[in-house]
Amino acid sequence: MTNVEVRSIAKNYGSVPVLTDISTDFTQGSFTSLLGPSGSGKTTLLRIIAGFIIPDQGNVAIGGNDVTRMPVWARNIGMVFQSYALFPHMTVNENVAFGLARRGIKGEESRKQVERALELVRLPGFGDRKPKQLSGGQQQRVALARAIVTKPSVLLLDEPLSALDRRLRQEMQVELIRIQKESGLTTIFVTHDQEEALTLSDKVAILDRGRIVQIGAPTEVYERPKTRFAAEFLGDTNFLTGTVVAGGIRLANGSTVAVDAPLPATGSEATVAVRPEKIVIRDVARGGKDTDRSNRVSATISSSVYAGTALTYEAAFDGLSFKIFAQNSDARPHSVGDVVELTWSPLHTVPLEAAA
Amino acid sequence: MKIAARFYIAAILAFLYLPILVMMAMGFNESPLYELPFSFSTRWYQALAGNAPLVNSGINSIWIAVATSIIATVLGTMASVALSRRTFRGKTLLQLMLLPPIAIPWLITGTAMLVFFFYSGIGRGLHALLIGHVALAIPYVVLVVGTGFQTVRADLEEAAMSLGSTPVHAFFSITLPLLYPSILGAALFAFAVSLDQFVISYFLATPGFSTLPVQIYSAIRKGFTPEINAISTILLVGSMAVIVIFALFAKPGGVSDKR
Amino acid sequence: MPLDPANSTQLREPGGSRKPLPPWASTAALLVPTYGWLTLAVFLPLCTMFAFSFLTATPMGKAPIVFTFKQYRAFIDQPYLLGVAWQSLLMGFWTTFFCAVLGFFAALALVRATEGKVRETLLILVLLPFWTNGLVRVFSWTMVLREGGFLDYAIHSVWPGAGSVGFLYTRQAVVVGLVHGYLPYMILTCYIALVTIDNTIVEAASSLGARWWTILWKILLPMAAPGLISGSVLIFVPVIGSFMEPRILGGRVGVTMGTVIEDQFTQAFNWPLGAALSFTMLAVVLGIFATFSGVLRRGTAL
Repeated sequence: MTNVEVRSIAKNYGSVPVLTDISTDFTQGSFTSLLGPSGSGKTTLLRIIAGFIIPDQGNVAIGGNDVTRMPVWARNIGMVFQSYALFPHMTVNENVAFGLARRGIKGEESRKQVERALELVRLPGFGDRKPKQLSGGQQQRVALARAIVTKPSVLLLDEPLSALDRRLRQEMQVELIRIQKESGLTTIFVTHDQEEALTLSDKVAILDRGRIVQIGAPTEVYERPKTRFAAEFLGDTNFLTGTVVAGGIRLANGSTVAVDAPLPATGSEATVAVRPEKIVIRDVARGGKDTDRSNRVSATISSSVYAGTALTYEAAFDGLSFKIFAQNSDARPHSVGDVVELTWSPLHTVPLEAAA
Repeated sequence: MKIAARFYIAAILAFLYLPILVMMAMGFNESPLYELPFSFSTRWYQALAGNAPLVNSGINSIWIAVATSIIATVLGTMASVALSRRTFRGKTLLQLMLLPPIAIPWLITGTAMLVFFFYSGIGRGLHALLIGHVALAIPYVVLVVGTGFQTVRADLEEAAMSLGSTPVHAFFSITLPLLYPSILGAALFAFAVSLDQFVISYFLATPGFSTLPVQIYSAIRKGFTPEINAISTILLVGSMAVIVIFALFAKPGGVSDKR
Repeated sequence: MPLDPANSTQLREPGGSRKPLPPWASTAALLVPTYGWLTLAVFLPLCTMFAFSFLTATPMGKAPIVFTFKQYRAFIDQPYLLGVAWQSLLMGFWTTFFCAVLGFFAALALVRATEGKVRETLLILVLLPFWTNGLVRVFSWTMVLREGGFLDYAIHSVWPGAGSVGFLYTRQAVVVGLVHGYLPYMILTCYIALVTIDNTIVEAASSLGARWWTILWKILLPMAAPGLISGSVLIFVPVIGSFMEPRILGGRVGVTMGTVIEDQFTQAFNWPLGAALSFTMLAVVLGIFATFSGVLRRGTAL
């Protein structure tokens, strides 16, 4: 069931387009990340859904009602800001009760709901403190409690974890998923951190220069990136460009790479992406075990970076450079200068759409 | 070296404060001709009570300062909201327009007011003084409150709106309480500016309606009497008290969100 | 404990159905009172006075209004004004000079010889008089400088046979009063400039064998220059426009541009001449501000 719906949203600042023709749905109870680099328009889209920005074109609907022209305060949203934006002159209880009071809920009923919300974010008994007396992570939880206590139609999170240090951030990610599932709120989460987006979301929308270039489940957008941008922004990728032939593409050096996916018309130019961890290195000289992966090229190791659990290699072949992630499970790591065979499956060879 | 430096600072402080202290002391000296040796007396303070023009002008000064403070604080805070929180074209020009009342010598501003008020029918007296004092105080209010705005994050109002507050409710429930120290400071500042204002008042006062500094000036021009010392002491202590209160309240970030 | 969004409470706020004011309208509503007031009280008067400076005489009754540039020729037509202008500039120069010398060393002493709470307190003490009534402070000096005043009394108590050294009603008295009035400004601007100087620079210089006057000339003075310049501008401008200080402390010799302009408005009723003199002075003031605007922006930024 669709809960939040945006249709053909466009927004310009002066003559600069910030968002161009954005249309997408957010399902009831889902957790969607808007992922993109700064300037991609992800925050603008969130603020349009919140109502802080009125789009030049298009519509926003929440719960089936068109709210495009409705001011923020009438939309019944919950929002967590990057800086938490807790009211410094109010206690935690007063902060959380603020939205309830705006909805006419006061006294005992308000007290009970505030208490329950603070329990949900695991801060019971902190109600009488001022925001200044709390740690960053605790302030974050209060901000979350304040946003969800009013049972909003949609919960909007604007990079809420970016101010936390790494450890606290991972802790809060787990908490965030739990709280979201428990509350069942449709959640839209803005982030520039790809790992965070993959970990948290049911759906990831990748934005680039004001457009959604791909939207789908985390595995889908990671395993089957549609464009070069999507492939590059979500993790590392190797790109191969060649001419389309039956069942694959032919590279400039004449070798053919098999692709197990629909390709453009034979004879046209196409680019495919291969994730570095999908490639297996076979040491030819040492007679390493052959695999059934049908794509294979021979290459020379040009660099090797050791990182404990894993190794990152670069291998050169025919003027191209491949990046390969390997688990540290080989008997002996490959050294620079080794001649190896790189193999990978046609299933992991993803054709990309031509750049717009 | 350090001792010489401290001695020098002491000398500067003596230069700054000694004349004022001498003036204050002479207000408590018995002799009408400031003759020494000193003999303590409060007769000049008692005489003040019977000096109707001085007392009346003192009352006028306080009323004008209170009214100036209230009007300038309300108007200046409104303008400061727009200048701090809104984006619009011509903002820089509007900010520059706050400078003339501060930077142009008051003699010129005052005489210009005299000319314009005379020919526009506004005339002189209480209302003219009020118009002039408020105009001088507004730029200070905008600047002081504007500094306060920098310590109140803009997203707090957005947070309130996301929770269901209208912009007006968000301003009064969130921003105003956080801005309160700055606004109070601005109000005291405006009060002090008006209370001490002499030049503008001098040109806009009438024989029937003047302020304390104008009365003191004309008394000095007529000749010195210890009564002037007495009333000057009262004015000085009054405005120093206002400034000290101001300094206590307008400390940057006093009660604000420092995160 | 699932929070069911379907049960979400409706907002009570009536704003939901009412359209908010367009942003430009509320912005204008916030700005109009202040700028309307400033227009009425400052900008319209200045414009009117500018127009007045081109009139032959103060418009009175039915007399015809005639435009002229002659008011701006006053310095040629009335040569005594040149002398007055010269006296005003001298007064401005000496006041600024003494403020600069006294203020620079006071700021230096504060920065180099005090610290922490003591320095803070001293700074507040220095600045406090600045916010008190200038008229009262000028009056205070009459108590000190008059014949038989505090200065005479102090000297006679040491050297009973001395004559009066009181110098009230002289140009020197005016300068003393003005220095007293504006010194805190200079101390503040110099202090702001000097307080940023890293102590290690001075130590490095003296470890290289620099004498104290070399340090003063080559390091401290150049670094305090922005403060000295902005302080000087902020003092010179109001001083050449002052009229109350020369009247009270200078008596008959206290004739300055300020007092001449005041006379045109309160005694001679030659408002066009007063306006022209005011705008000539304003042009000088604006010229000074424009020349030093860069330094002023840096020097006064707290």
